Amino acid sequence: MEASKQVALPSAETKKFRHEDFFHVEPYEKHNIVEHFLEAFAAILHFTDYKALLDTYCSTNNKCNRCAVTCPVYQVTGDPHDIPCYKTNLLLEIYKRYFTIGGWVKSRFSNSFELTEDVIDELAELLYRCTACRRCTRECPMGVDHGLMTRLGRYILSMIGIQSKALHVSVREQLTGETHNTSKVPRAALVDTLEFLAEDLEEMLGISFEVPIDQTDREFVFFCAVSDYLMEPDTLMGNFAVLKAAGDWDNWTIGSGNYDGINYGLFYSDWHLENIIKRLVGEVTRLNGRKILIGECGHASRSAHDFVPIFGGKEAYPVVSFIEYTLDCIRRGKIKLDKDIITEKVTYHDPCNIARSGWIVDQPREILKGFVRNYVEMEPHGIENYCCGGGGGLVSIDEIHDYRMEIAGRVKAEQIRQTGAAIVIAPCANCKKQLKELVEYYKLPCKVMGLHDLILKALIIPGGKSPKVRKEESAMFEM
Amino acid sequence: MEGWIEFAKGPLFAVSFSIMILGLARHVVIQIYSLAVRKGRRLRNVPWRKIILDTLSWAIPVKHMIPGTRLFSSVSFLSHIGIIVVPLFLADHIVLWEQFLGLDLPQIGRELADYLTLFTMAALLVLLYCRIFKRRHRAVSTTSDYILLVLVFLPFASGYLASHPSVNPLSWQAAMLIHLLSAELLFVVIPFTKLAHIVLFIFDRISEVHWQLRPGAGDKVAESLYGKEVKI
Repeated sequence: MEASKQVALPSAETKKFRHEDFFHVEPYEKHNIVEHFLEAFAAILHFTDYKALLDTYCSTNNKCNRCAVTCPVYQVTGDPHDIPCYKTNLLLEIYKRYFTIGGWVKSRFSNSFELTEDVIDELAELLYRCTACRRCTRECPMGVDHGLMTRLGRYILSMIGIQSKALHVSVREQLTGETHNTSKVPRAALVDTLEFLAEDLEEMLGISFEVPIDQTDREFVFFCAVSDYLMEPDTLMGNFAVLKAAGDWDNWTIGSGNYDGINYGLFYSDWHLENIIKRLVGEVTRLNGRKILIGECGHASRSAHDFVPIFGGKEAYPVVSFIEYTLDCIRRGKIKLDKDIITEKVTYHDPCNIARSGWIVDQPREILKGFVRNYVEMEPHGIENYCCGGGGGLVSIDEIHDYRMEIAGRVKAEQIRQTGAAIVIAPCANCKKQLKELVEYYKLPCKVMGLHDLILKALIIPGGKSPKVRKEESAMFEM
Repeated sequence: MEGWIEFAKGPLFAVSFSIMILGLARHVVIQIYSLAVRKGRRLRNVPWRKIILDTLSWAIPVKHMIPGTRLFSSVSFLSHIGIIVVPLFLADHIVLWEQFLGLDLPQIGRELADYLTLFTMAALLVLLYCRIFKRRHRAVSTTSDYILLVLVFLPFASGYLASHPSVNPLSWQAAMLIHLLSAELLFVVIPFTKLAHIVLFIFDRISEVHWQLRPGAGDKVAESLYGKEVKI
């Protein structure tokens, strides 16, 4: 009995729906759960604009099933419960039954749909199987945004305490903790890390670096996923090197009050989304900066780009993605890249959060094609790309590692294998983590890197060592 | 029987058609209200050009043919041609439009109308087949999805029978009465079911607008549920 209660993942082979495997949601009080759910739903409908959205979807959702063939999860499991439309419908059923006159009338005349603890369990399970990549939305003839519906469902659940523990612990620390960031990196550790990175860069490039912290009146205030300071030093060094080579070293700063661009609120809660954005904007105001520069991170870029204009009020600073910044430097001739350094076959993975809307699709390709000789595309790519399998915050939930590998990321792994590339570029902290795990899990013969990791290798630094010398040095070091 | 047909052609038609028009107008008004009034200044952040192009691309969704759903998608798109053209432009219907709305619409040939009708009926049967026999479709289909397909099928079938006595097992009057009543039933249900997409398709692709969340709402929701001292 005990064994069956443990993580019994629905693997690709069994293709079974197991909503009792409630492993990735914080334990919650089951007492009166249905009532709580409806109260939270009612409060959300009262204070937000979701009612109009739900009304529209109730009248247009045609259940044509096109979303099923676009969904990377359904393609692997073949389980009807994984069809995006099925999940959306579950939420719409609840709305119709309890918040519309038609639903009430129907419930008087028949044993129609009723919300029970089981339905809530199922909803929670299904919503946290979705990577919110919104690939289905593009192919829905009725434009039903299943990503937004997943998010709304998770928002309602989070208001009654059903939420991914991993995500929520991070958000709690970011908003109310001492360090105010998701990875609990204290200020002293940040300063140490930056000094360490500067030393490394100095050794590598042959010029001195002093990373600006808390400088006021700068053009850019830089935010990256705080986990990059711990896990992706190469990406950060690439970012710093570009700023240095472009002559913008005195134009930017990192704020020690808030140096975390991560916003898990984007995945499950309007409440947290807004408060995290306000903290971000507050830091720029404190430093009297003029623009928000977001490092390589898909959801951080999107949440800042899309929600600073909404929640920022009068202080809605322009948001610049580091990819856009680098491309701008290249176009204006501020930085140059050596075309003879990268000889391996390189492919590019589009992070859903920046690519699906068509925002950042061509920019990284223009950069890569400028200095990579052997560039190959995944199929499909760009706006139509497949999610890495860790979207919607799933990558942070270690408990579902097997699910992410076996199901959510399987299509992506196959895509990567088909390109035959030696280097996969993914300009997103979450995608990088998931792809690295996928590469290891499926034993793919390739390396996952950030865009600026690669740029760092080929970047020509005025007055510093040439990329060729650096390449030889690192080859010797690796031997 | 003749009296019933006259009643169905006259007052019943006027009433059911009015219900449809008013119901659909209500949808449009609510949509515009929820956009203009509720979203207000946040509409400036929305990429309108992209949304309009996207909506237009779905009018003739050739580039949206994707593997795995070619049959269902192409059939459901093609069925729309007959569903729109025949009711509007068939010679016998034009008389109705002129009588009630004063509209002078161009008419299509009877032969073309026949082919379109037959094709539409076949298409609707294919859609019904998919819903019944394909697991993936069945999984998300509800009673109303089946009933609506039949409801759209009925006026086409009865209309075809009424105009082709050689294949009609019923009397002309019976076929015509079924034709009128089923069409009128359809008019009435349109605004209250997913068939409302005959006007709502204009607003289909505005999910970007709905991503413009309401500032301050998150705090209010939390406070209303857990009081001022709410903890994250």
